[in-house]
Amino acid sequence: TTGLGGSAVAGHASDQIENMVPVKDRIIKVTFNADVHASLQWNFRQQTEIYVVPGETALAFYKAKNPTDKPVVGISTYNVVPFEAGQYFNKIQCFCFEEQRLNPQEEVDMPVFFYIDPEFAEDPRV
Amino acid sequence: MSTAMNFGSKSFQPRPPDKGSFPLDHFGECRSFKEKFMKCLRDNKFENALCRKESKAYLECRMERQLMAQEPLEKLGFGDLIDGKPEAKTNS
Repeated sequence: TTGLGGSAVAGHASDQIENMVPVKDRIIKVTFNADVHASLQWNFRQQTEIYVVPGETALAFYKAKNPTDKPVVGISTYNVVPFEAGQYFNKIQCFCFEEQRLNPQEEVDMPVFFYIDPEFAEDPRV
Repeated sequence: MSTAMNFGSKSFQPRPPDKGSFPLDHFGECRSFKEKFMKCLRDNKFENALCRKESKAYLECRMERQLMAQEPLEKLGFGDLIDGKPEAKTNS
């Protein structure tokens, strides 16, 4: 459920996931963007687009590489557009918000595990 | 990443993920599961619903290798893929 201001009620997230019913006739295309700040020496790219429905958990991947000969620490944040959809986008787990360190020449897959809140299907604005 | 010019008071507020951050799979221990999932997506026009077994297998790989906190599969939205359980009903 969403609380006031559209923010998710984190304490009930697991219960929601367990009980939510996919809205199978409402297909949503999710595309992923990747931008890297000029000062961060990582190669960073998305690996896919994906078609999901509200209420169904989904997995997506980015790939990051440190092309230098020194360890590089980076941190990710994210944005969701359009704004009206963003409040329904729930990240269960991802690589963002914490510093991640890539060793020289290291390349890793970076997963995002998410779902779109079933209430999305009932919002006339989206 | 899109930058939006917001002239109103509303702006996108990033929220931390519910279960925190995935540790990096530095040794690629689950790479083969990821590759199977990606191949499934490519073979199925990127439709997530057809590749849920593969995504479940990837997350199970992570959990077995301490690359993800152990969670019951139901709480990750895979309740209908656990043996013996009936398929989840759909909303109409």
